[in-house]
Amino acid sequence: MTPEDAPLPLIALDAVVKTYDTGEVPFTALREVNLHVHTGEFVGLIGKSGSGKTTLVNMITGIDRPTSGAVVVDGTPIHELSENELALWRGRTIGVVFQFFQLLPTLTTIENVMLPMDFANVIPSGERFDRAMHLLEQVEMADQAHKLPSALSGGQQQRVAIARALANDPPVIAADEPTGNLDSKTAEAVFTLFEELVERHKTIIMVTHDNDLAGRVRRALHVSDGEIVEERIHRARVGA
Amino acid sequence: MFDRRWTKLIRDLTTHRLRTTLVVLSIAVGIFAVGVVMGGRGILVREFDEDFTTSTPASAQFMTEGLDAAVVRDVERRPDVRYADGRRRVAVRFTAEESPSEGTVGWPTMRLWAIPDFAAIRVQKIGRQSAASWPPGPGEIVLESGALQVEDFAIGDMITVEGPSGTRAPMRVVGFAHDINAYPAKFTSAITGFVSMESMDALDEPRDLNSMAVLFSKRDYTRGEASRMAADIRDTELASAGVRVVRTEVPEPGSHFFGDIFKAVSLLLLALGVLSLGLSAFLVVTTVSAIMAQQARQVGIMKAVGARTGQVTGMYLGLVVAYGLLAVAVALPAGLLAGRAFAEYGASVLNFRIVDYTPPLWVFVLEVGVGVLIPVAAAMVPIALGTKTPVAHALAATGISSSFGKGLIDRALGTLRGLPRPVALSLRNTFLRKGRLLLTLTTLALASAVVMSVLSARASMLKTVDDMSSWWRYDAQAILAQPAPASLVEREAESVDGVTAVETWVESQASLSRPDGTENESLFAIGLPPKTGFITPSVVAGRWLREGEADAVVVNTDITKEEKWIEPGDTIRLDIRGTEKEWKVVGIVTGQLMGPVAYMPSEALDSAMAAEGAVGRVLVQTSEHTAEAQRRAADQLDRKLDGAGVVVADTLTQTKQAEDIAGQFGILVVFLVIMASLLALVGVIGLIGTMSINVLESVREIGVMRATGAGHAAIFSIFITEGVVVALMAWAIGAVVSWPLSVFLVNALGVAMSLPLSYAFSYVGVLAWLAGVVLIAVLASIVPAWNASRVSVRDAIAYE
Ligand SMILES: Nc1ncnc2c1ncn2[C@@H]1O[C@H](COP(=O)(O)OP(=O)(O)O)[C@@H](O)[C@H]1O
Ligand SMILES: [Mg+2]
Repeated sequence: MTPEDAPLPLIALDAVVKTYDTGEVPFTALREVNLHVHTGEFVGLIGKSGSGKTTLVNMITGIDRPTSGAVVVDGTPIHELSENELALWRGRTIGVVFQFFQLLPTLTTIENVMLPMDFANVIPSGERFDRAMHLLEQVEMADQAHKLPSALSGGQQQRVAIARALANDPPVIAADEPTGNLDSKTAEAVFTLFEELVERHKTIIMVTHDNDLAGRVRRALHVSDGEIVEERIHRARVGA
Repeated sequence: MFDRRWTKLIRDLTTHRLRTTLVVLSIAVGIFAVGVVMGGRGILVREFDEDFTTSTPASAQFMTEGLDAAVVRDVERRPDVRYADGRRRVAVRFTAEESPSEGTVGWPTMRLWAIPDFAAIRVQKIGRQSAASWPPGPGEIVLESGALQVEDFAIGDMITVEGPSGTRAPMRVVGFAHDINAYPAKFTSAITGFVSMESMDALDEPRDLNSMAVLFSKRDYTRGEASRMAADIRDTELASAGVRVVRTEVPEPGSHFFGDIFKAVSLLLLALGVLSLGLSAFLVVTTVSAIMAQQARQVGIMKAVGARTGQVTGMYLGLVVAYGLLAVAVALPAGLLAGRAFAEYGASVLNFRIVDYTPPLWVFVLEVGVGVLIPVAAAMVPIALGTKTPVAHALAATGISSSFGKGLIDRALGTLRGLPRPVALSLRNTFLRKGRLLLTLTTLALASAVVMSVLSARASMLKTVDDMSSWWRYDAQAILAQPAPASLVEREAESVDGVTAVETWVESQASLSRPDGTENESLFAIGLPPKTGFITPSVVAGRWLREGEADAVVVNTDITKEEKWIEPGDTIRLDIRGTEKEWKVVGIVTGQLMGPVAYMPSEALDSAMAAEGAVGRVLVQTSEHTAEAQRRAADQLDRKLDGAGVVVADTLTQTKQAEDIAGQFGILVVFLVIMASLLALVGVIGLIGTMSINVLESVREIGVMRATGAGHAAIFSIFITEGVVVALMAWAIGAVVSWPLSVFLVNALGVAMSLPLSYAFSYVGVLAWLAGVVLIAVLASIVPAWNASRVSVRDAIAYE
């Protein structure tokens, strides 16, 4: 299945506006953003700090809600869901990867990976351990399965976080600066992991600061002042 | 299903050991308080009741002159009487000295009961406690065990007893018995002893009975009915046998003479239990809020990976239940032990025995309920708030609050110039977490208010004692065994060294006719000069007596407490020594723990009872007022009267009497102090908890301070200052609240004891608590501040 064949986009943002009114004057972080992402796409979001990248990703993951406009993911209008419906939906549909890894400190590596399965309750409980182990093998972390996050390096933690994002086999992975806290060698390894996921038809939205990496994604969107100002399509993958 | 959610909980419990300990302690202290207070109270009330009921208290008791056993049997034959037991009651003096002195000066008083058959007692039963020989044979005596609280007696001791006729007899102490119906020695300075009827011979006393305890057949009756039945027994069986009744006592059915104090103590304990519960709930809210604040980011992560609000709420409620169960495991046994000790203490004060130390079952149920349900209820709001936080917001949480600087107090603190920077930082930190501050302040201020109210209640009791003592203006007095001519008694009294004034009082038992035809037979009539210089009556209504009034009477509040119908201006009928006469009530004065007393001018009472100048009591004032001088005067008075052939039943000194009154209030004061200590403990644990959580939450800030060059001492003092600031605020609020609270407490105690108490606000207590609370604040902050000062920069940055 390729994007050209799919009549409907997997992710569709329609005139999404996000205004924060926590400050003295309301601040508009997203101005009528329209975006379609198709299954299997690897989308990179680039832009200066404060341009609205995180806000945009949060719209797609349902971590935050638009002030106006519509967000439809895999046919679900998520801007209409309640907090609870959102959590249930997110657990099955989207895997989230953060800049600061955000593993639970008191759970071991494998337990962190199993936690989303416990919440979503889609994977039968008897299969959870094996599945988590399998995911850790994919990110080459199986030998660290029973360590606590504090015993892992940043790159290792991020691999675990990626395994956790895959826990319930979601079609979409959203990652906000997943390499922002890693040295370039480790960042390269994490990025390669994402490329492998795309090959397995996962759809990936990734925010990045790294221009090198941005040049290697299939589709790079430049965000500035709450708007998508430029779009570059790389038909051929570099180094492929 | 045991999945990762519960793994996380258990790891959280075991990883954050300090926090777990704090939360568990704050819940445990509430459970503990319930265990001690409610458990102790439960044991006391039940066992006191049990002890009292098994003794079969009398429905009515008659003090007579000469009573034949056959008459007692006649009384028992009445259908409305179940049992009637006769005894002989003799007031004696005794000494434990090996070679007793001439005269009985300085000898303590003893209420001696001669019992015809110890095995056949059915009313006011006596429990054998430790007796080498039972029942006591001729020349042997068994003492009521309350005697051990005033003096060291041992089985085998020899004492010398002198009867009313002056005959002495040696007696061997062969054991101790328990009589819950005997007034404890501690409060009356008179001990109680039991002997066989044969022992009367040695004291030259007749073997006649002179006291009869009666148990009615009916189970439920009012005091009025009981009085009517008692009067009927007196007017029928006793009158036809020619038995003169000196005094009839009809207690409130089923009620012990300590009933009022018991009610007051019980009320205090109940109030204490409820208060500690409330405080404990506050502590739980504080700590759980802190936990939720700390966990905000983790809640965000869990929701980001698909956890629903309900799932997260369930997890944290589970955590709180786990805390609760741990607290129950700690506090239940501790509370059980302390409650036991508490009951034991109460029983020794009130002179009764505890057979079963198990607290009532409902106390355990309450403890588990308190340990689990209150924390869950208290945690609801903070958990709901914590789990409802939008994911984006929660993920951004760093643990460092940035909301400082918006409110009024913040800005005021921000503009404070010239403070040393660490102090300024402590002040600002204190107000940084306003929700927490509010909860801690409430807890500590409430505890402070209660502690200070209790201290004021204590001051009020002492003032009441003081007021009662200053009511009396005598130095020494003697109560005569038989009325004696006033002129003779006065002449002897005047010859006592250092005496400056003498007054004699006419006295008699009296009975009051109620409008409904029943009688109150336990009145005491006192005839005294209206211009008496020996008491300072405090008039509640109407006025005091005037010179020359032939039928004026002033009653005290102990009479009006029962006879609510009496008002100044009323005419009442009093039966004094068989002669009925109408008296006009001109006023009401406060009672002075003397029981129901009616005061009349000496001549009026003298003529009403045809005393012909015989008096029952003599009081003297002396130039010196020390306890020593008063005792000397009392002894000399005793000796002189004895030498003149006047038998003295007892002597009293003003200081000794004040001590006795203070002793009774002492029980309450002790319970009040226990109560204050427990609440102070709750406050201390609360403050330790808050301070520790503040440290935990400030780890990053501390790291930053350390990184910029703050030394151990600087950080240590920042946290100590913070604790002291909170304590000072709590003290100030508590001091203000303690004023109305203590007024309420003193009133409630007065109502419970049916004794209007004087009120005194304890400024000393307020100042003492200021010192106490600052000390507590420093102590409570030491460990957290120490921990804070040892935070390393690396730890702080790595802190999760
Ligand atoms: N919760 C918030 N309240 C107010 N303003 C916010 C909030 N979150 C983000 N912003 C603002 O919105 C803009 C976009 O933020 P963000 O999406 O985080 O940018 P980026 O991820 O591109 O650095 C920024 O100017 C930021 O200050
Ligand atoms: Mg961002």
